[in-house]
Amino acid sequence: MVERIKAELGATLKETPVGEADYRERGYHLFAEVASADLLNVARFFDERGFYLAALICVDYKEYLELVYIFSNHASLCKVKITLKIDPAKPVAPTISTVFDCAYWHEREIREFFGVSFDGHPNMTYLFLHEGIDFYPLRKEKIPVSDEDKKALGAFRPGEGEDTFFVNLGPQHPSTHGVLRVVLKMDGEYIQSADPVLGYLHRMHEKMAENRSYLQFLPNTGRMDYLGPMAFNLGYVTAVERLCGIPVPDRANYVRVILTELNRLSSHLMWLGAYLADLGALTPFLFVFDDREEINDILEPVTGSRLTYCYFRFGGLYNDVDDAFVAGTRAFIERLRSRFSLYEKLVGGNVIFTNRTRGIGVITKERARKQAVSGPVLRGAGIPMDIRKSEPCAAYGEMDFDVPVGTRGDALDMYQVRIREMENALNIIEQALARLPEGPIMTEKAPRKLKPPKGDLYHTVETPRGELGIYIVSDESDKPYRMKWRVPSFSNLMIFPELAKGNLLADAVAILGSLDLVIPEIDR
Amino acid sequence: MEQIGNMIGWETVKMVVGLVGVLVFVVLNALILTWAERKVAGHMQRRIGPKEVGPYGLIQPIADALKLLGKEILTPREVDKPLYYLAPMIIFVPVLVSFVVIPFDASLQVMDINVGILVILAFSSLSVFSILMAGWGSNNKYALIGAIRSIAQNIAYEIPLLLALLPIIMMTNSFSLKSIVEAQHGLWFVVYQPFAFLIYFIAGVAETNRTPFDLPEAESELVAGYHTEYSGMRFALFFLAEYTNIFIVSAIAVTFFLGGYQGPFLPGIIWFLLKSYLLVFVIMWLRWTYPRVRFDQLLNISWKALIPLSFINLLITGGLLKL
Amino acid sequence: MVCLGERGVCLEKEVFPVKFAVVEKVLDLARANSIWPMTFGLACCAIEMMSTAMSRFDLDRFGAGVFRATPRQADLMIVSGTVTKKMAPVLVTLYEQMPSPKWVLAMGNCAISGGPFVFEGQYNVIEGVDLLVPVDVYVPGCPPRPEALLEGFLKLEEKITGKRRFPGPESRW
Repeated sequence: MVERIKAELGATLKETPVGEADYRERGYHLFAEVASADLLNVARFFDERGFYLAALICVDYKEYLELVYIFSNHASLCKVKITLKIDPAKPVAPTISTVFDCAYWHEREIREFFGVSFDGHPNMTYLFLHEGIDFYPLRKEKIPVSDEDKKALGAFRPGEGEDTFFVNLGPQHPSTHGVLRVVLKMDGEYIQSADPVLGYLHRMHEKMAENRSYLQFLPNTGRMDYLGPMAFNLGYVTAVERLCGIPVPDRANYVRVILTELNRLSSHLMWLGAYLADLGALTPFLFVFDDREEINDILEPVTGSRLTYCYFRFGGLYNDVDDAFVAGTRAFIERLRSRFSLYEKLVGGNVIFTNRTRGIGVITKERARKQAVSGPVLRGAGIPMDIRKSEPCAAYGEMDFDVPVGTRGDALDMYQVRIREMENALNIIEQALARLPEGPIMTEKAPRKLKPPKGDLYHTVETPRGELGIYIVSDESDKPYRMKWRVPSFSNLMIFPELAKGNLLADAVAILGSLDLVIPEIDR
Repeated sequence: MEQIGNMIGWETVKMVVGLVGVLVFVVLNALILTWAERKVAGHMQRRIGPKEVGPYGLIQPIADALKLLGKEILTPREVDKPLYYLAPMIIFVPVLVSFVVIPFDASLQVMDINVGILVILAFSSLSVFSILMAGWGSNNKYALIGAIRSIAQNIAYEIPLLLALLPIIMMTNSFSLKSIVEAQHGLWFVVYQPFAFLIYFIAGVAETNRTPFDLPEAESELVAGYHTEYSGMRFALFFLAEYTNIFIVSAIAVTFFLGGYQGPFLPGIIWFLLKSYLLVFVIMWLRWTYPRVRFDQLLNISWKALIPLSFINLLITGGLLKL
Repeated sequence: MVCLGERGVCLEKEVFPVKFAVVEKVLDLARANSIWPMTFGLACCAIEMMSTAMSRFDLDRFGAGVFRATPRQADLMIVSGTVTKKMAPVLVTLYEQMPSPKWVLAMGNCAISGGPFVFEGQYNVIEGVDLLVPVDVYVPGCPPRPEALLEGFLKLEEKITGKRRFPGPESRW
């Protein structure tokens, strides 16, 4: 596949060469630098071949700004990095949101953080920031926002139509989504358009990454997604290890797998409870918290925290697991298997629940690809892609599990996929526990002061919500030059406005719940 | 006392005493039900409910009531004042009127009107006014949406409610509640009319806006429905009216289908209260088990399922009675 | 000078020579035993707040289990999570919509003083919710354990009534 794409891409871009990169060090197979005029052709090229836009990143090298497009494929592993250099004095680039819908919000984000304006973009208003911030935050120097930029950015004012009125869903939500505000334009009970407004929890993680060393940034990863922090920890730690070439002992790899899968269970259980609380059944919420407390009881003696774990270190772990942990985990697996039948009777077999979720929020494969959704949402839509299988890190390559796929792409399919993922997680934990090797948990070769070699890396990991992509640009100092987090909830939320259109308000809540969003990771 | 009695008339005295008793019962019932709801919810969710406030948490409702009394009386600036003030008061009228005609015991009925059930049904449709006033007067989009949903739901479910009670009225040839209870001397009507009982129960749960039919108060969508903008004592009145409605729905079900106050050994009123509170417990049980039905599905259940079924039931009953 | 309630009427003794001691005590007891929190979970601390309300740690024992979604019916605003500049007007609006007597509990390091997100050059985090609204109880932690939140809750009850419900931990230094 990689050879074929290289040949075809080389034929399309006649002047610029297509380089091959070492996938193990860089995270992508091919790279090419294009000019502004060619960008749309390249985007169409990848669209025709069934690629999706995994990430759109902007990096401020002081003499120029660079836009990095990472294209990836669901069917077979092939990642291509396309870069575009922009003049920092007059940053303009063409938009590709006509070809790939997911670029719509990525470009808005880059506009407000870097000041790059995109030609032909339909709606360049504030996504995360607000009028109070009058400089571009992620530029290396403090460049103030010009007045016409401010006017263009602040142009989102929901007005009143004749027979329509605006309803705000949030930012203070009775359900557990967090601080997400969705401005709904309603016609009676039907939604005409839905506009999410983000940024109520923007905690500047990417700017902090540039001010902190690699080790100092580790606690931040747990706070980005507070329901699946182990996966974020794993992604970050394996990314830095890949960048620096630090080996990890086997025992540490297996323990990482066990803990990440326990966290996946915890996250999916929480999703189950929260989804049902959205639909009106409050009791399963309390039952899942019981199960989560059991998981906390197992994890707390090992990691030291209940919620925002910071347990992995570069080169291994910081604390070993003991026999009490193994015994506790085995007992917990028995208990949870029996609880699944309880959840099936209370939730899955409930006719009211099935009526509320069947046929609601149907995602087709084509829309899933164009909007770059990932995780259970993608698998519910029918595409069997799981990063734990295609790009395994830690000890996932040696685990045996299947990839559950839905048929209809509606909310009920998302529910089924997540239940089967929970069962898979139990199987993976059992296999890992059976094969847990003895040995050290921390490698001796980890340097004290971590100074990765110059270069960039795009590393992906499967979190409970989908594909997490970490793009690190390092300039040989001990602080990252740029760290971009491509979070799954951001991409999954992009498909919500088109799913909500024409539906009832109650259905919109059901659709939003089935996407499993965690707002702090969207707002970063 | 004799002189007062002779002056006013014993009937009047009895009625006044009965009304005072009804008011006391309404307040006590609301206190008990708020405590019971939290305890039942707690035990179903594997925890205990209120425990620290008095033994078994029994003083909790009194603490709640005193707290609500001591709250600042807040009127938002943009509300429609007459509607906003009147709504919580009017919601109590149908509730109190319904209590007047329910027979708690053979001799414990404030007034035995010979069109008893018609009075109850007529006044319960007035509660729709109060909800509309609350929703519109609050000048709040969520309150308005909640009120509109509630009105559609109430109107839709009143019809199966009435149609489910009609077979009983046909069988006993009277609207008076006392004679309906007396007619169940041999066998309770639930044996004759099980479907009517189910239809009445479902419609009753929908009338009181309880889960699974509580879309007007859907917390995860609409903040709090039609009483979003009410605080303190005004909110307490809505709260009380909801719990009293639950009791009335159960009480009517008991009167019509489960034999009212009849039962061996114990005095009639104990049986009546036992049966009513059993049905109240079932309503609470439903709340903590099921998710919410979506609004169009809710209306579909009423118009497409319950009304035709109750019509068929009525026709069969009429046919069997003729033979 | 006699004060009725926390933000209520303050009366001069000469004008109104009636003492409200017993009524005030009873009302304070009632208010302390039936605090209804508002669902205001912002970030990670919200999950620990939910854990406190769930079966294992059960906030409903103390009468505080009724989480009302609308500020008009709530007494306590538990600010759990980071307050950003975009969220600040929303928070102040919600606070002003709550009827008196009302209390605010700042849960977690972010609500107390900005938490781990204060660094040089930060542009979006408000360093502590007490810059916006008056806070009654601070519960530190990142996130604080549910037991810590319960202790903060009991401290709030002590603040309202003047007496502690359970004996506190003995201070040994």
